[in-house]
Amino acid sequence: MKMTPKIFIIGSVLVWAASISLMVIFPWISMEDEPSDIWTPMNEKEKAGHDIYVNNGCHYCHSLYVRTIDWGKGAERISKMGDYYQMQPAILGTERTGPDLSQEGGEHTDDWHKAHFINPRYTNPLSLMPSWEFLGEKKIEQLTAYMQHLGWKMADKRMARQEKWQEKAIEAYEAGPDSNITWLHNNVPEEWRNMPNPYPATDAALARGRNIYENFCLNCHGPVGDGQGKAAKYLDPPPVNFTTLKRHLAEDKYIGGIFYYQIMNGITGTAMPYFKRQLESEKIWDVSNFVAVWFVGYTDANIEPRGIDASYEPEWENPYLEDPPTMEEMDKKKEEDQ
Amino acid sequence: MLAFTRKPNSAALAFIIAGSVWFVVGTIYGLFSAIHLVSPEFFDNIPALVFGRTRAIHVNTVLYGFVGSLLIGLGMYYTPALLKRRIWSEQLGWLSFMFWTVTVLSGPITFSMGMSQGREYTEYLWIFDVSLVLAVLTMVVNMVMTILRRKENLLYVSVWYFTATFLWVGGSYFLGNVMWNPSTGALPGILDSIFHWFWGHVLPGLLLTPMAVGVAYFVIPRITRTPLYSHTLSILGFWTLVVFYSHIGGHHIVQAPMPNWLKMISAVDSMFMFLPVIIVIVNLWMTWRGKGGRIFGDPAGKWIALGLFWYLIVGAQGSLQSLPEMQVITHFNNWTVGHAHIAILGFSGFLAIGGLWHILPMITRRQLYSKKLVEVQFGLVMIGLTGFFIVLTIAGLIQGESWYNGEVIYRVLPELDAYMVLRAALGMFIIFGAFIGLYNVIMTIKKGKPIDSVEHN
Repeated sequence: MKMTPKIFIIGSVLVWAASISLMVIFPWISMEDEPSDIWTPMNEKEKAGHDIYVNNGCHYCHSLYVRTIDWGKGAERISKMGDYYQMQPAILGTERTGPDLSQEGGEHTDDWHKAHFINPRYTNPLSLMPSWEFLGEKKIEQLTAYMQHLGWKMADKRMARQEKWQEKAIEAYEAGPDSNITWLHNNVPEEWRNMPNPYPATDAALARGRNIYENFCLNCHGPVGDGQGKAAKYLDPPPVNFTTLKRHLAEDKYIGGIFYYQIMNGITGTAMPYFKRQLESEKIWDVSNFVAVWFVGYTDANIEPRGIDASYEPEWENPYLEDPPTMEEMDKKKEEDQ
Repeated sequence: MLAFTRKPNSAALAFIIAGSVWFVVGTIYGLFSAIHLVSPEFFDNIPALVFGRTRAIHVNTVLYGFVGSLLIGLGMYYTPALLKRRIWSEQLGWLSFMFWTVTVLSGPITFSMGMSQGREYTEYLWIFDVSLVLAVLTMVVNMVMTILRRKENLLYVSVWYFTATFLWVGGSYFLGNVMWNPSTGALPGILDSIFHWFWGHVLPGLLLTPMAVGVAYFVIPRITRTPLYSHTLSILGFWTLVVFYSHIGGHHIVQAPMPNWLKMISAVDSMFMFLPVIIVIVNLWMTWRGKGGRIFGDPAGKWIALGLFWYLIVGAQGSLQSLPEMQVITHFNNWTVGHAHIAILGFSGFLAIGGLWHILPMITRRQLYSKKLVEVQFGLVMIGLTGFFIVLTIAGLIQGESWYNGEVIYRVLPELDAYMVLRAALGMFIIFGAFIGLYNVIMTIKKGKPIDSVEHN
């Protein structure tokens, strides 16, 4: 075959045209853009947020669809074509340096998003996301509105739940610190309230718990557990001050089960997210013990009812029942141990 | 007026110089992006340097600016040379240069202000899309006219590749960027992803690949002083490239809600994609068989040989990655980032740089200012890229395997720390390489020893 100008110029164009007919033009004619069962339209504010998302390259780190292969890996629903009805562009994304956002709406409260956009490490200390404070308040609100839209009808249901409980949580917070704690504890199922932390607060367990606290809790609840972390000023209601909890032990002795439940489940309506996807059981018990010993000054670890001890458990006498050590003493002890 | 635009090969040289500058700019923006992943508060609240913006600048400047400009400049030289006449219109060439460069330049300016169309590889704003398409159309006219007025009857394979590139790219860019919808550059709904990823894969496949392969076909027989191994293989490679490469954009969205037939064609043709890859490589390896010493002894030949080696790896990897079974682990993480780097810098970038060092003396009629600096640059970029590829592949496997085991994305981030530090450090090797390259280009033009009338080999 001799490649004459005619053959290769006309041939190139023809083969290319055949390809686009099949791969671009045919889908264009045959695919219909119809809304899915969960789709809802965007309002102006959400659209503005979508534009900010697109223009600033959020999709380089966040995907906007749940893949077929995510099934069974934490996803509740695989994305459908109609989810993207009229979205322009449907900015699917190519990487997950950050989490998928296609069902982000209603996962967190608006004020959580505000703190997170101002500095992502305020809510997620390990985050690699840049700070977006420079966008200014208005654009952050628009972005937040867009986040809360993602997930469509499913998001709307979650948002309704957030709003319902946020109102109650604010009301409880404004009624004063002690009644607030009472309200929070009363919303924990009774079986959990009368439950001690079943695992000993050994030094190793506290070290593990401290690690979790630093990576997940630090910037809301603060380095001394008083609820004055960097995110606190953006949050309504603000994070709980752990140091007041000693007055609120269930039956004057239990706090472990309450901690576990609140960490696992989060407190919908407040910025406290649920951690059941991120933290497995041991880590929740460890961080509960850490918060109890360091900030409450008391842990119910290993007290009755205790069942059969797990096989790994060392011989351990709970020293934190009566006269808990101060933080200085804890640090000193740690240095001595090393 | 504008006498310099009439100087022979001046437009080609302009593209080459611009490409060398964009190499520096593009990789520096790569470093900015890499630093974010090491220390997200390093550039705290500096709007122009926020990750979502610098990444777009890095990617587009490197694709269209560095590799794109260099390869166009080289083709503008070798195509007329192979046809034994001057380019049809040098000034039209300058016009192409202007349009192309305006588009590339718009990236760092508009993206850093948060003005971008967002979809990956189609971020340029509409007006700059127009400018890019005009660059392509003027190239079509220039190349076709040059071919029609040629003095050499036979069309060498490099000529097909270089000319066909512009025949394919104009329409593909227009379609993929949905240019009839200037405000968003997108269609409503999920259909848009088909248009988007059609261009997403035509960009490396029918813009960079044919021009890069054209360079390899031009340079290797000249260095080894042997004829091309097989004309039949050249023809096969050319036609299989356009047939298969234009079908596979869908493999980027195999995991997204898309029609199954589209996913099927994309995955199957992605496997066939290995054909044009292996055909080109076999043809060129057979051409230099027994003359490897000349290839590896030549400062430009080394780049070309390694570029083909990366082509082999990236081709094999790309085909495998399109399989849904493989994507269970490799999709959505740094594995793909590693793949993209050996595709653009490894394959087409190495061939572009190799072509640069071979052709620059032919255009300027001056010897290279320093062959040693070419070697140093080769070492730096090779270390940087190889390390990069390994580090990112490992990081990607860590992410993919962890997610597969049910770990959430947030918990995997600390596991990437060391790899992100290494990637930023290795990236600096590439940046030094880019600076050395630019220096060598400028010094060759200014101070290279003039070559007498004998043609440089």
